[in-house]
Amino acid sequence: MLIVEGLTKRFPSGRGIADISFEAKQGEVFGFLGPNGAGKSTTIRLIMGFMNPDRGRVTIDGRDAGRRAGDVRSKVGYLPGEISFLDGMSGRGFLDFLGAMQRVDSKAKRERLIERLQFDADTPIRKMSKGMKQKVGIVAALMHDPALVILDEPTTGLDPLMQKTFVELILEEKRRGTTFLLSSHSFPEIERTCDRAAIIKDGRLAAVKDIRELRSLQRKLFELVFDNAEDALAFSCSGIETASVDGSRVVVAVQGDYDALVRAAARYPLRSIDAAAQNLEDVFMHYYDRKEIAP
Amino acid sequence: MNVPLLRRMLTTHSRVFLNYAFGSAFYIVLMFWLYPSMADNSEALDDLMNELPDGVVNAFGIQNGFGTLEAFISGEFYGLILPILLTIFAVSLATQLMARLVDRGSMAYLLSTPTTRARVALTQALVLVIGLILIAAVTTLAGFASQAWIIGDGYPLNAERFISLNVAVLALFFAIGGVAFLISSLANDEKRATGLSGAIAFGMFTLDLLGKISEKIEWLRSLSLFSLFRPSDIVSGQGAIGLELTVLFAIGLLLYAAGIYGFAKRDLPL
Repeated sequence: MLIVEGLTKRFPSGRGIADISFEAKQGEVFGFLGPNGAGKSTTIRLIMGFMNPDRGRVTIDGRDAGRRAGDVRSKVGYLPGEISFLDGMSGRGFLDFLGAMQRVDSKAKRERLIERLQFDADTPIRKMSKGMKQKVGIVAALMHDPALVILDEPTTGLDPLMQKTFVELILEEKRRGTTFLLSSHSFPEIERTCDRAAIIKDGRLAAVKDIRELRSLQRKLFELVFDNAEDALAFSCSGIETASVDGSRVVVAVQGDYDALVRAAARYPLRSIDAAAQNLEDVFMHYYDRKEIAP
Repeated sequence: MNVPLLRRMLTTHSRVFLNYAFGSAFYIVLMFWLYPSMADNSEALDDLMNELPDGVVNAFGIQNGFGTLEAFISGEFYGLILPILLTIFAVSLATQLMARLVDRGSMAYLLSTPTTRARVALTQALVLVIGLILIAAVTTLAGFASQAWIIGDGYPLNAERFISLNVAVLALFFAIGGVAFLISSLANDEKRATGLSGAIAFGMFTLDLLGKISEKIEWLRSLSLFSLFRPSDIVSGQGAIGLELTVLFAIGLLLYAAGIYGFAKRDLPL
């Protein structure tokens, strides 16, 4: 459905992307994972034809999706990373306008989506919160039943309950055969919906992997608080990979082998265990810091 | 061209169109209303003007004196007020139609639909031209209406010359609008687009004014599109205006085409 081949774009600042290639098959939810500034949005802009690549090609549904390919876009739904609607309109007014531009009768589906996402579409856009704008954006991206949906950081601004609704929406659309490209800087967001994901680092692809494989590769940090510092010290010498020891507090890094952690920790009295919040670089240190040992 | 976009943009900007159109209409009504009292003292005013340096008279286009209604409005209104009003209108609208949408990111939505960039840009250019035509038309109608209702037959208005005057001002701002549109199409930053096209438009206006003041620097006028618009010559019936109109129209078309082409080709920071 979406084929990206050798996409390259250098900016005068020296940043950009180089030689990005991947394919999202029909009915697949393809994740695009990378920290801020890695080149996710640049790749999406090139796919959408907002910029001209220095090299490379984008094919959507078997057709070249260059700058001039206007009608390929009737098959594409798009949610920008930073949403900006037109001035002086209500949410519904904007959706009606965009529906007319998309040249598809999308009224019924539009109403269903508005119902699903639970927002008052008649609110003027300038009075909308970030989360509400995001909802209007999601409706705009899905209402015309596109074959390919490109979502740039889709869940920013949505509360956890709405994130869940959003995940359900994607999975429903997927069952109907819709292809998704979903970019994110958070692995849990990708994990819930994607079949495969590409990891992008400094403008280059570090890996394209099955989501199950990525799950086993991710490295989680746990913070253990022991009763006393001696136990903490003894525990940290028991062969478990510890990220830091501070008095009775130990931070442990686990990659797949949760069993060993539980066994080692069970020998000492514990006060608490917490999963530490992590950014993408910590989860996939594998790709981000120690590239030389990457497979 | 894209019909839903055109309709949307006309709705969005309709209030601004009407504000400028009525502002201009109000001013021309005011001028017409003032005219009889001026005309009755026209000899005294003509004497006063003879006291003024030739350059100043020239610059403000009042060399035709206050003898006829067209002569009176051609200097004050068409030579100064309306050009300033339309320059502000053209610069701000052209910036809003292209550069603002790119700067804020809304352009991403327009371009994510099955239309081409060229069509989006052409539609936006059309919105600007429609706005200019509307203002010129309302101003012309207001002129005729106030001649008929306010000042009456005592002071006739030469309809042909008055219409020529309005067509000429429209042609001038078709071209000035083209300058602003080209800059707006190529700009990523709204403020920079306003600043640059404002500076160029008012710069040309000033060059024309300076060139008219002194013969020594008259060459300055050749740098300005405003020199192709001579309201005082039109109302005194000197020479044909066909050539100027054609040149302004051709320059305008070229500028809009360049804007559309440039916008279709360039990288957009969306």
